[in-house]
Amino acid sequence: QLVSALHNLTRHVVYRGLTRAEDILCLFPENFHQNLKNLLTKIILENISSWRNEAQASQISLPRLVDMDWRVDIKTSSDSIARMAVPTCLLQLKIQEDAALCGDNPVVSALTVELSKETLDTMLEGLGRIRDQLSAVANK
Amino acid sequence: AADKIRLIPQDFFAELCEQIIQHLNHKIPGINTAELCQRIQTSGVDINIGDLAKIANILSFLFSTAARNNLSTEELITTLGSGISALPKHAVQVIRHMWNEQGKAIAVSEDAGNMATVGQFVDMKWKLGVAMSSDTCRSLKYPYVTVTLTVADPSGQITNKSFEMTIPQFKNFFRQFKEMASVLETV
Repeated sequence: QLVSALHNLTRHVVYRGLTRAEDILCLFPENFHQNLKNLLTKIILENISSWRNEAQASQISLPRLVDMDWRVDIKTSSDSIARMAVPTCLLQLKIQEDAALCGDNPVVSALTVELSKETLDTMLEGLGRIRDQLSAVANK
Repeated sequence: AADKIRLIPQDFFAELCEQIIQHLNHKIPGINTAELCQRIQTSGVDINIGDLAKIANILSFLFSTAARNNLSTEELITTLGSGISALPKHAVQVIRHMWNEQGKAIAVSEDAGNMATVGQFVDMKWKLGVAMSSDTCRSLKYPYVTVTLTVADPSGQITNKSFEMTIPQFKNFFRQFKEMASVLETV
């Protein structure tokens, strides 16, 4: 019962986004033990930002990018072309399925993709536009 | 798989062959199996995407082998051999027609871009969002980027992969791509 009550208290504080001691103190009932109340509030305040970060990280979402590796190769020859020097990019993205659905065993899948110079430029253009949008939103 | 071919209505079968030939000709980046499957299912036919993918692979192999060996339409039909009796008449008709019209034009030689051992990147779509609130935090204001990558897998079939990134992850993502591009320039 005690653990459950503490759990509810901390969840409530995170949900409401309370950051000031006064707001947390007034959650306790009138005749609550003074020193215990202060101690609990102090502990909660110390942990509040990491709890909030954890709540943000574990909220429902699409699969998340967890890792990215790349390499640039040069194709020098094939069964149909004896000599060439064509650069190409190999990209491997590791994507983790929604943590909330997988519990303790998150499923990570790897996506390996090849990009030519043209497709890489398409990608960069798209990413540049995201960056522009981010700056526009940040400046508002 | 031949019995599954039986299920596909003639016009969808023709569309599938058309996409396969266009893909072999490098006119389109990949075969849109998922989208085609959905339209076939909407028309009332009970076929799943795995079966459609297998059929696409078989047809792709048939057409590319025929192109490599410069087969005429009659030779192609003969190659189908005993398989022919298992195929529905309309399917054989479509194959014969497609090959007559477009088969000879298939570019057999693989250019540098062709050895598809991994997926080929086709397109990227994105969305910038802000999560306002959730069951754990009433006021979140958490920005994130959602990306959908369209990839043609080694068999030529198109798949989509979606995922989310935080803003710092996105900045790193962008930086890595800029680095890849600069390496590509100097190589």
